[in-house]
Amino acid sequence: MSNTTTDDSLITTEVQADSNDDRAAPAAGTAVAARDLNVFYGDEQAIDDVTMEIPEKRVTALIGPSGCGKSTFLRCINRMNDMIEICRVEGDVEFGGKNVYGPNVDPVALRRKIGMVFQKPNPFPKSIRDNVAYGLKIQGYDGDVDARVEESLKGAALWDEVKDQLDSSGLELSGGQQQRLCIARAIAPDPEVILMDEPTSALDPVAASKIEDLIDDLAEEYTVIIVTHNMQQAARISDRTAVFLTGGELVEYDDTAKIFEDPEEQRVEDYITGKFG
Amino acid sequence: MATDNPNADGFGEVSRVRGIAFEYLSFGASVFGLVALGVLLVYVAIDAFDLANASPEWLLTYFLTLVGPFLAFCLYSANDPEVTRRALGALGGGLVVVAALFSAIEAFVAPIPRLNWQLAYLFVVAAPTTAYLAYVGSRGRLGAVGFGLLGRLVGGVAIGLAVGTLFLVFDALLWFLAYTLGVLPAVGLYAFGRVRSAPRARTAAAPVGLVGLTAAVFLRDVVATYPSDLIIYLWTIAVPVAAAGALLVADRSGRTAGVLVGGLPLAVATAGGFLAAGAGLPAPTVLLVLVLTGVPTAAYVSRVVDVGEGVVGLALPFLLAAGVIVGALIVEALGVPAPDPWLDASYLTEAPSRTPSEAGLYPAIVGSVIIIAMVAVLSFALGVGTSVFLEEYTPESGPLGTLTRILQVNVANLAAVPSVVYGLLGLGLFANLLGLGIGTAVTAALTLSLLILPITIISAQEAIRSVPDDLRRGSDAMGATRWQTTKNVVLPEAMPGILTGTILALGRAIGETAPLIMIGAATTVFRAPDSLFSRFSAMPMQIYTWAGFPQADFRYGVVAAGVITLLIILVGMNGSAILLRNRAERGS
Amino acid sequence: MTDSTESPDLTRRGGLTRLKEGTYGGLFAACAAITLLTTAAIFVTLLSDAVVFFRSISIVEFLTGTNWSPNPAGGGQAFGIIPLLIGTLTVTFTAALISIPIGTLTAIYLSEYATPNARSILKPLLEILAGIPTVVYGYFALVYITPALKATLFPEMSTFNALAASIMVGIMTIPMVSSISEDAMSAVPDELRQAGYGLGATKFEVSTGIVVPASISGIASSYILAVSRAIGETMIVVVAMGAQARMPEIQEAAFGIPFINPADVLLESGMTITVAMVQITGGDLTGGTLPYNSMFALGLALFAVTLVMNVISDIIAQRYREEY
Repeated sequence: MSNTTTDDSLITTEVQADSNDDRAAPAAGTAVAARDLNVFYGDEQAIDDVTMEIPEKRVTALIGPSGCGKSTFLRCINRMNDMIEICRVEGDVEFGGKNVYGPNVDPVALRRKIGMVFQKPNPFPKSIRDNVAYGLKIQGYDGDVDARVEESLKGAALWDEVKDQLDSSGLELSGGQQQRLCIARAIAPDPEVILMDEPTSALDPVAASKIEDLIDDLAEEYTVIIVTHNMQQAARISDRTAVFLTGGELVEYDDTAKIFEDPEEQRVEDYITGKFG
Repeated sequence: MATDNPNADGFGEVSRVRGIAFEYLSFGASVFGLVALGVLLVYVAIDAFDLANASPEWLLTYFLTLVGPFLAFCLYSANDPEVTRRALGALGGGLVVVAALFSAIEAFVAPIPRLNWQLAYLFVVAAPTTAYLAYVGSRGRLGAVGFGLLGRLVGGVAIGLAVGTLFLVFDALLWFLAYTLGVLPAVGLYAFGRVRSAPRARTAAAPVGLVGLTAAVFLRDVVATYPSDLIIYLWTIAVPVAAAGALLVADRSGRTAGVLVGGLPLAVATAGGFLAAGAGLPAPTVLLVLVLTGVPTAAYVSRVVDVGEGVVGLALPFLLAAGVIVGALIVEALGVPAPDPWLDASYLTEAPSRTPSEAGLYPAIVGSVIIIAMVAVLSFALGVGTSVFLEEYTPESGPLGTLTRILQVNVANLAAVPSVVYGLLGLGLFANLLGLGIGTAVTAALTLSLLILPITIISAQEAIRSVPDDLRRGSDAMGATRWQTTKNVVLPEAMPGILTGTILALGRAIGETAPLIMIGAATTVFRAPDSLFSRFSAMPMQIYTWAGFPQADFRYGVVAAGVITLLIILVGMNGSAILLRNRAERGS
Repeated sequence: MTDSTESPDLTRRGGLTRLKEGTYGGLFAACAAITLLTTAAIFVTLLSDAVVFFRSISIVEFLTGTNWSPNPAGGGQAFGIIPLLIGTLTVTFTAALISIPIGTLTAIYLSEYATPNARSILKPLLEILAGIPTVVYGYFALVYITPALKATLFPEMSTFNALAASIMVGIMTIPMVSSISEDAMSAVPDELRQAGYGLGATKFEVSTGIVVPASISGIASSYILAVSRAIGETMIVVVAMGAQARMPEIQEAAFGIPFINPADVLLESGMTITVAMVQITGGDLTGGTLPYNSMFALGLALFAVTLVMNVISDIIAQRYREEY
């Protein structure tokens, strides 16, 4: 415990935000926007007055030390925080121009338009096919299910590995494959936004890099919002980066290259270079 | 617990005598109840099977023809020289020790009533060794196949008998109409929808089925002529079971195998049914037993043959049957004096009687089966509903959270209410206030359902709670409604646990007597109940009645046989519950 | 693939979907409501008939009467609960003498001494003791235990007696004591044990001097539950104890202190509250008679006692859960 500081300074990142220049042009519209968002867990404030606009068909990374509210923010977008009883949300989160916390909004209907991938792969204990078809089934999809399953598995770069074993259990796959299965499950109902909550933190580096490649491809069609504690990962895959610091404060939000090369805020620079956090 | 430490020079020693004495004392306490129960069970088994009159020759004969080959099979399957050595050592050494010890006690202390050293050997050494070897043997490939086949045979017969019993009470003609007009079209539509991916056909299945069922109820008294019972069972149960088996196998190992697996048992069962009808036996039951045993057995054999491992294990049932037959032949040929067990075929198929040797348990068994079937449906539905409500639908805090806690405390308190009080509830509420009748099967079923409901709820809650939250959140995030998450993710995962808990609770219900007495269940009935509203008796009720008879033959014979029957059914139920749980644990 | 609609439809679904959701929610709530209704029904059923009973027989007479004969041949019914209380207390006390020490020792063995392997075998086996139908225990007591006791220790014992029944009730309630006590002992944090060993205590001293006192509230709650179970036990006593509501002879010892010879109640037949209820069912069950109503008065007494004990045990158990 005593040598944490030295360790931290050792892993000071030499990041190069190079990868996503092709999509950096600010042509895109806004997919999700937060306005004066405050979130409380009981008496404790988890998000402190956050306002930000997330562009569509881009990868937006939310980074920050643990407990900074980045996951909470992610879960506000598809109202997964509703499941936590002591959670209270003030302010607006707009999705497609509508406030998701507005009256008459059904969180279930909202979640059908927003996919989510969790930290730990959580395929259902069903066959691979049923896993991917799950969203279609619950939404009463009446088209060709098998075609959509194939399309989604291809979209998640998993098809070639599992096409001969679609009826075997999703739990028989390796961790990385399971996570890609979860991504296939999320994109099968054709959502507009995909939320990813530290999707690679439970995986080995090889599996994680496959997921990173996949995220890059997904941004062609979807708006991807990813929470990560891994700054290199944010630098590699995201177009925009939002830095949250303790107390749920959004300290800086800009193009990824700007954040990692020339941040406005001293605190952000300290965090990125490992002096803090 | 080493008391002396050779390296400890100069530290001295702390006495452990008290500690060691205490350890043995507490171990003794742990097994005290079990040993007491074991001894009592040995005595009741001796009484039920009249083993006190079993001659040593008789025991030896069956030991050689039945037990010996079985042990050899298990040892062969285990294929472990160490186990073989230990087993033979235990069997041989145990013989000497038990004989010597027993004779010593008889000679120096006091004669032990109704026990001789052969029986002591049987229960103290042979039976545990056999059980242990069966366990070890069943873990080998060969044994797994053999016991799997044996299990399907026994289970098929038990389920066939139980289903046949249920149709004594439920209206077969109504079932015939309901199946033909409602169940069949609905299942057909659904299957069509699945295969052709036509969702409309699938959605139509439920309404069509409902319309059919309603029509069946209306037509029940309008239609004048019905096919015979045998044809009804053939059409509504035997054919669908065979078809299901055939489809399952055809999917796995080709059409020919499928046709064989479905067709062969169906043909045998049909032939058996008609033969039984000719011979005056209960033809529908024969048909049901044959088809419910035959199809799973055939499917299992086909799979074992496909896999091609441990095929020899399939011989186990034949080995046991041959052992029984050969043993019987030898006993017959040599004129070996054989015991005359109280628990025999006529005991299970005859009505009670004042004469001990003619007394039977049949009407009570039928009563128990009918009540348990109703209790199973009721307590399962109510238990799952309540536990889903408590675990998935109500929050843990806030005003609704208070309601959850009240419900929870209430369930816990209901579990501790004495069963005799539930009997009063049944008498006051169901029998008298609601007019369901004193001592009727339906009153008993409702009373017992409420009695085991708290146990079912608590175990179902545990099963639902053990479903990882990850899965729920995954489903919620896909935009599933609460019911969709419950139906598609939570219940399938929790189902093995829920079923295990329900079966264990049913075990409690099948042995309950006090509530039955309170609702005025008959102490003895001479005919099996033929409707839900007829007076009935149940196994524990009959045991209670007979235990009060003054004749020794009732106390030590007839009741002992009833106790053993009840315990065997209990062991069967609990055993299948445990198998179910183990299988689910292995699966996940 | 995405065909970004400007304004996604997020409104609540109408009609069928909501109806379906509501129906299922309502169905489950109804199931849960049945458990509450059961409690209410027990109260109402017991109370309504008991009230009728207490209109004819005053509560004081009921609680202090020393004669119980609801259906006498020659008339002159009497409804005094004292002989039944004596019977119930005899059985409960004797059973507790068996189940409490044995159950506690079992719990200590399982929690402190047994290897994980032995524990995994012993625990389910012990549960069997609670799973045997009670009528079977009653039968065992009547045809095996009583003759054995008669042949060895108590030749003058009667065929129906309280002792054999109590032994069986005791054995049946062992797992109730052992499993809850063991849970409480296993919940004692290992640091406490380590502290004891660090001071040079032996395993015996740690088990009895540290673990047992630390888990005493859980152990106490298990005792109460087992006793409550023994009070409500019916079939064992019905089969093995007979059905004679007897007042034992009250003798006077030195200095005029009254006492009851234990042999008088243990070796003779007797009657518990539950037996009295069962005995009345031999008569009219359609209701309206005094014996019928007295059954519900007894049931109410039984229900109240077991409920109170259960609540007390719950409160005690709650305390140990909060401690760690």
